[in-house]
Amino acid sequence: MTSRLFWIAVALAVWAVLPFVVPRNIADLLVFTGIYSIAGLGIGLLLGHCGIVNLAQATFYGLGAYASAYCTVMMGLPSAVGFVAGAVISMALAYVIGRPILRLTGYFLALGTLALSAIASALFFEWDWLTGGTLGIGGIPKLDLFGFVLDRPSRYYFFVWIVAFACMAVARNLVNSRTGLMLRAMRDSSTAAASLSIDLQGLRTRVFVVCALFGSLAGSLFAHHASFVSTQSFTVDRSISFLLIPVIGGATSIPGIVAGAVFVTFLPEFLSKLGDIHQILFGLALVAVVVMLPDGLMGAVGRIRAWRAARRGGDAG
Amino acid sequence: MPAEPILSLNEIGHRFGGLNVLRSVTFDVPEGGIVGLIGPNGSGKTTLFNIVSGYIRPLMGTVAYRGVPLLRDSIQKRGLAGLVRTFQTPQVFEQMTVFENVMVGCAKLTRTTMLQDLLRTPAARGQMRDIRELAEAACERFHLKGLRDLPAASLTAGQRRILEIARAVVGKPRLLLLDEPSSGLNAQEIENLRDWIVRLNGEGITILLVSHDMGLMTVAHTVHTLYFGEIVASGDMATIQRDPRVREVYLGV
Amino acid sequence: MTLSLVLQAVFAGVTNGMVYALVGMGLAAIFKGSRVINAMQGEFSVIGAMTTVLLLTKAGWPYPAAIAGGALAGALVGAFIEVAFVRYMAKKNASEDSFLLLTIGLALTLSASILFFVGRDGHLLPPLGGEGVLIVLDAVIQFHALWLIAIGIGATLLLRAFFHRTTVGLSMMAASIDADGAATTGINVARMRTFTFVLGGVLGAAGGILVTPLIGVDYQLGLNLTLKGFAAAVLGGLTNPLGAAVGGLTLGLVESLAIIGISSSYKDVVAFSVLIVIMILMPQGILGRAGRRGG
Repeated sequence: MTSRLFWIAVALAVWAVLPFVVPRNIADLLVFTGIYSIAGLGIGLLLGHCGIVNLAQATFYGLGAYASAYCTVMMGLPSAVGFVAGAVISMALAYVIGRPILRLTGYFLALGTLALSAIASALFFEWDWLTGGTLGIGGIPKLDLFGFVLDRPSRYYFFVWIVAFACMAVARNLVNSRTGLMLRAMRDSSTAAASLSIDLQGLRTRVFVVCALFGSLAGSLFAHHASFVSTQSFTVDRSISFLLIPVIGGATSIPGIVAGAVFVTFLPEFLSKLGDIHQILFGLALVAVVVMLPDGLMGAVGRIRAWRAARRGGDAG
Repeated sequence: MPAEPILSLNEIGHRFGGLNVLRSVTFDVPEGGIVGLIGPNGSGKTTLFNIVSGYIRPLMGTVAYRGVPLLRDSIQKRGLAGLVRTFQTPQVFEQMTVFENVMVGCAKLTRTTMLQDLLRTPAARGQMRDIRELAEAACERFHLKGLRDLPAASLTAGQRRILEIARAVVGKPRLLLLDEPSSGLNAQEIENLRDWIVRLNGEGITILLVSHDMGLMTVAHTVHTLYFGEIVASGDMATIQRDPRVREVYLGV
Repeated sequence: MTLSLVLQAVFAGVTNGMVYALVGMGLAAIFKGSRVINAMQGEFSVIGAMTTVLLLTKAGWPYPAAIAGGALAGALVGAFIEVAFVRYMAKKNASEDSFLLLTIGLALTLSASILFFVGRDGHLLPPLGGEGVLIVLDAVIQFHALWLIAIGIGATLLLRAFFHRTTVGLSMMAASIDADGAATTGINVARMRTFTFVLGGVLGAAGGILVTPLIGVDYQLGLNLTLKGFAAAVLGGLTNPLGAAVGGLTLGLVESLAIIGISSSYKDVVAFSVLIVIMILMPQGILGRAGRRGG
């Protein structure tokens, strides 16, 4: 137990020091990792605990980003308003759209969410009187915490990651709670879950709304980081990236989500050094993970650990 | 003075495609009793269970639970009222441990909102504690303690059956529908099951039982024989076994 | 809302609808043959079209040969995907979700490959029947579009004959309904599955090749066609690949008629909304029997 605490302390120490020792572009990527962790957390909850593939996260990411951009730049309101507005709009939309769409299951649901993301992407593009279209909205101010302006990646890093940790704590609460039990039951056998009076439809909708909240939060954080938002950031590709986070890292573990977020932010960056071929390699990496590591990286780690434990047991016995 | 039956089926009829699966099925289940349903394969027993528990809406007829017609009540609503069923193949939650499976059975007894769970309020923590306690007691009672932390997927058929029953019972049902509970069990396990049915009934749980196993069926006070969707004979086990129609149904077909 | 406007919309709708039908039939065929929802179906279209473009412009092949080359490219990629990935995952009893994620990953990879090898620009192909148009009541329809519709109808009929009359086609149907039963009668189930992917690839490629003279092909066309092809397949009832023909036509018409008077940029929004609504309200499609419901 103490060894685990030790490693957590080490990890925290590394985390605290990291933005100061790495070059600025890496610090920038680390901020993105935090933002993506938040978005991916929601998707992970749906995937790992409900067995739902959600390809609509870019919709809510975009709503959060545009809400923050619009409220601060167009209406001159404090940034907190943008966060709240984005969250409220996203949750409302998730509820309204979620109720009917979540009656679907399996690939119908997955493709329904994909269609939703495509519709949102098209509307972000079409309604340029609201979103600025491809020209976007620029000049989004950096966040200002009681006078302390978060204008550097190394500063914003801490804000983003603390929000991310809070989201992880909330997600963990959910997983370990009565709701978490019901979600896993629903995932394993919806027939039996129904016979035990679990409200399947209600649960699915509510987790979808929570996922949208996380997406919106990530989007608002993104807006204040990039200072400029435009439609290119909220396409179906982005939704796919968000889905990759729990797929690659492992949907049911929080370190897995972080691992997945690291993968999704850092790998394209490193591969870009190899030239334009990097996107192909990224796609291939995804295919490789899906084919060979169905439980993601964390699942593979778990299996390696189990295999090692079995070997040790065999030797000792 | 007879008490109101806990379950009343009246002229239940149902069809799949062109096939009449159930026809004018009418019987009562007295509160506190054990009622059995027998009949050859395809006679509509599982369909009847699906209708009573809410998985299917019958084309004709009504089901009344404790005097109130169920109409379009959802599966979940029926469960909350105390009407719980098990399945022919035990539907355990494969990736969850035995203990967690039992905990899910307790979930319907408390009511936390998702917001409370997200924020881990004292109310949420308290209810989780209660759920754990109830589940511990149930595991103790049903002799599942040894299997407690194993994934349900690794259980044998007999163990799954007990787990499924334990999970259903911990939610304090009034009427328990057991669909072929002996399928996949060996003789010893069937004996064990039989004891459990008697014990649970002794505590006041009404039981409606479908089974092929005539030995298990002796536990029922009344048995109805279903043949191609119609009840052809009713009575206690001894009467049924003497009934020429039942013989015809099982031997003559 | 003049008659010629409506007629114009009908022309556009039927033309687009045929493209969606081809893509959708390929998707439905793959689903019927292997229970895999091919999220990269549209990429077959892009690959087929791009191959034809390259063979025509870079290798100087005559147009018919280039078209055949494009169709062949679709077939080969389909076969490759089945052999390299699907077979392996099927053996490991991969979940439905995993297959979906696989095809999504492949769609990403292929789209990125097109971007890498060909660049961002769109490419056109020469229209069949020349540049001419037919004018009916002030509504215009290109000769190529007429050819497209004719070929689409022909392909549907051929496909029908294939499934119902040829040994290979009947075997494919059998293998998809009951793999074990099919295997006992000597049908090589794995090879049948490869054939369905080949068929899907060819149909997808055909759709891409035929649509390129009208709107051009670029690396992003794939996703759009996949979603619309899927909508066509669902509308027609996933259990019957031929239903996608009706589904595609319906989708094309609804799409075109709905945007009369609104900007045409809402076309996709309409199509994708139709998909969502149909999945929720009529998952068996307008033609299908109560087959497999809602995924």
